Amino acid sequence: MSEQPFIQIRDLHHSYLRNTPLEVTALRGVNMGIHRGESVGIIGRTGAGKSTVVQHFNGLIRPLEPGKVIVDGQDMSDPKVDVRRIRQKIGLVFQYPEQQLFERLVGDDIAFGPKKLGMEQADRRERVKWAMDMVGLDFEEFKDRFTFSLSGGEMRKAALAGVLALQPEMLILDESTSGVDPRSRRELLERLLTLHKEHNLTLAFVSPNMEDVAGLVDHIYVMDDGRVVMSGTTREVFSQPEKLRQHGLGVPQVTEVAHELISRNIPVERIPVTVEEGVEEIWKTLNS
Amino acid sequence: MSTTLPEPIIKIEGLHFHYNPESEHPIHALKGIDLEVYPGDYLVIVGHNGSGKSTLAKNLNVLLRPTQGDVQVKGLNTRDPAHTLTIRSSVGMVFQIPDNQIVATIVEQDVAFGPENLGVPEDELKERVEWALGVVDMLEHRNRPPHQLSAGQKQRVAIAGVMAMKPEVLVLDEATAMLDPEGRRAVLTAVRQLNQEGVTVIAITHFMHEAAEGNRVLVMEAGKIVMEGTPRQVFSHVEELRALQLDVPQTTDIAYRLNQRDATFPPDLLLVNEVADEIQRRTNGRGDA
Repeated sequence: MSEQPFIQIRDLHHSYLRNTPLEVTALRGVNMGIHRGESVGIIGRTGAGKSTVVQHFNGLIRPLEPGKVIVDGQDMSDPKVDVRRIRQKIGLVFQYPEQQLFERLVGDDIAFGPKKLGMEQADRRERVKWAMDMVGLDFEEFKDRFTFSLSGGEMRKAALAGVLALQPEMLILDESTSGVDPRSRRELLERLLTLHKEHNLTLAFVSPNMEDVAGLVDHIYVMDDGRVVMSGTTREVFSQPEKLRQHGLGVPQVTEVAHELISRNIPVERIPVTVEEGVEEIWKTLNS
Repeated sequence: MSTTLPEPIIKIEGLHFHYNPESEHPIHALKGIDLEVYPGDYLVIVGHNGSGKSTLAKNLNVLLRPTQGDVQVKGLNTRDPAHTLTIRSSVGMVFQIPDNQIVATIVEQDVAFGPENLGVPEDELKERVEWALGVVDMLEHRNRPPHQLSAGQKQRVAIAGVMAMKPEVLVLDEATAMLDPEGRRAVLTAVRQLNQEGVTVIAITHFMHEAAEGNRVLVMEAGKIVMEGTPRQVFSHVEELRALQLDVPQTTDIAYRLNQRDATFPPDLLLVNEVADEIQRRTNGRGDA
């Protein structure tokens, strides 16, 4: 691809509480490139530096140390960058959604962003309805519910709707779906994938779990101890279960089955990353 | 025969629970739950968001009281306020977000907090803290401030804090949901260890492969128990579980789909090795020719 990446990160370093006795180094030279319309997974155990990296994507953390962050063609170390505009384009949903909800009613909370953008009441209502539909919260049922009365899973959906309501070009989910039950989670992700495919929404999923991103992303960055330690397509990364284990990660059970078969000298043509692929591969093996 | 049956440690009869029963729109979260939990059980409760799992859990140690029906712990009814403390010291709970459960600035002190408040004497307190930190494999971190620990380590400290009160029942309300795979493995190992030492475990989870840890699985839907059995029994009902918006472990899903293509393939496999064994058996039989 000759086009410049939407987000480009070069040799990025970052420390928290810098120049104090409590200094903690979070990033030790990270390189990443995310193109417009791509879907990527950023995977790694707790403390690997995942959240620190993605907070550079929309200027929540500005690069102060060696390294470059170029977002949408703009150098984020330039103090004149219009960060508000960047944040409108790049939405970030965090892990604990209750920290991201602040209005009394669900509908008002989701309408907050569009209101700040100066949208008219009627358009706003449509936008909120659309965003709630996207995350699977029924508009009529939930718009007048108190945000604090929502269940954990519903809060996560509401927080996501609030970010989607700005119709960002890129969406970053920082472990935003942990605690959502598997089926709601899948429905949510399928809707996001539709936006990704039909409207070119760029996606970044941050997770400690490989199975969370299997089948969702074009490219995986595995991080550990402030560095990118593996980078490749899902299949390339999943083909190295030993290396993943060293970095504190596992592979989905279906991939584990394939590796177990290979270790028993039973041929598997290609390493499956989803159940559908696994069934096809095993079927081939059984009938070869 | 009835003489050989152990007494249930928890007995629930006709339990209904409403949130805001006085309001215009009360939420009917539990709709007639009957359940008996026996000493030494490892009961796993699954169900999608809003199915009533956490409400049920909170009714077990008097964080909530039934709107209708009864919950008895060791024969004590949770409706009687005189029993609240006894019940709470019998049934310990661990929640989803570890940070909300840590109270002290040093791991050891955090674990000691519960038993100290129960009036456990100094010598025994020390012993209990050591034992609890040992079970969750956190002894080497005893003098560290909790905020320096990983999420998995914090959750193990939270479990140790509950265990130091020596409850007979440990309730885990999605206690692994926020952890990375390493943290999750460590917590599950600790819980398995406690169960082997005789602690009754009730675990609420979204992770279907974690449900395979239990000896009983209970599926909840819209405030009711809709399926119950051993993990193998429950997970063999792939279609029904799907209809309930639930997943099955990937291994069971693979076996089920292969069974649909070839009826001789067993549909109820649960472990990675079981699936591999079955495939190996089938390819060997043919490969020899």
